[in-house]
Amino acid sequence: MESKDTKSMKLGILLTTSPENENTNTVIEISKAARDEGHEVSIFLMYDGVYNVNNKEFAGLAGKGVEIAICAFNAEQRKVAKVDGILFGSQYDHACIAGDVDRFISFG
Amino acid sequence: MKKISVIIRNLPFNTRKNAEALRMSVGLTLREDKVTVIFMDDGVYTPTRTKPEIINVPPPVREFGALTMLKCRLLADKPSLEKRGIKELIENINIVEREEIVRTISESDIIIPF
Amino acid sequence: MTIELDLKGEVCPYTFVKTKLKLEEVESGEELVVYFDHAPAVENVPRSLKNEGHKIMGIEQTGDHLWKVRIQKV
Repeated sequence: MESKDTKSMKLGILLTTSPENENTNTVIEISKAARDEGHEVSIFLMYDGVYNVNNKEFAGLAGKGVEIAICAFNAEQRKVAKVDGILFGSQYDHACIAGDVDRFISFG
Repeated sequence: MKKISVIIRNLPFNTRKNAEALRMSVGLTLREDKVTVIFMDDGVYTPTRTKPEIINVPPPVREFGALTMLKCRLLADKPSLEKRGIKELIENINIVEREEIVRTISESDIIIPF
Repeated sequence: MTIELDLKGEVCPYTFVKTKLKLEEVESGEELVVYFDHAPAVENVPRSLKNEGHKIMGIEQTGDHLWKVRIQKV
């Protein structure tokens, strides 16, 4: 899985915990650091992770070039409303992220 | 094609977590990646014969059915089963030695401890 | 010939899995009509199919929480 161009890699992140978990801050900091180094970052939110779209700092990652997709089914179950800049997608989007990235980290 | 391992280690009925891990595993097959689900520690209770409908929880029939149909490997850690005295699992679960679990995890491109 | 698939009561990712499996039975250029009652699936399943190269011929709301999606296999 070594990327040929180590200068720019694709990083995938799965986040399944709600914003009061310290995982949220870790994901924000890793994503920012990766973007600062010029890496691509894609985050998938599912289970209680969908609540992170209501966290301002987390949702702000979308404006920093981080792609964020969320499991719309879990969002619907938890009455989480759509947020601009975040893809209310599906497990298919998660499969695409997992398939496309050079590195994948799971936060649960 | 990547090898993805999903590891389930918690009790099945306290939360929806394990059922969601199985649903996610089904979704991860959508791009032809090879998905393996590993049950270990208390996670080995997940593929036992239970009646969760008694506590108003839908049984994970659909999840296990889809994973079997999609030919995903479903592995249960033998030492975890022995420690808990679990003798019987639902169909299509492979009971394997710890070495096999370790090998599967080390050969994986992506590991998701859910 | 048009093949139909009823996915009422199905949620993600089963909507995807079943549509994909059904498409394997469809000849290239033929149409598959899928019925959904899960709103997120109506946006997401066609998007994924387009991504896989298939054509979406139409999405029609046929009732309260009921949609009909026409797919032409690539």
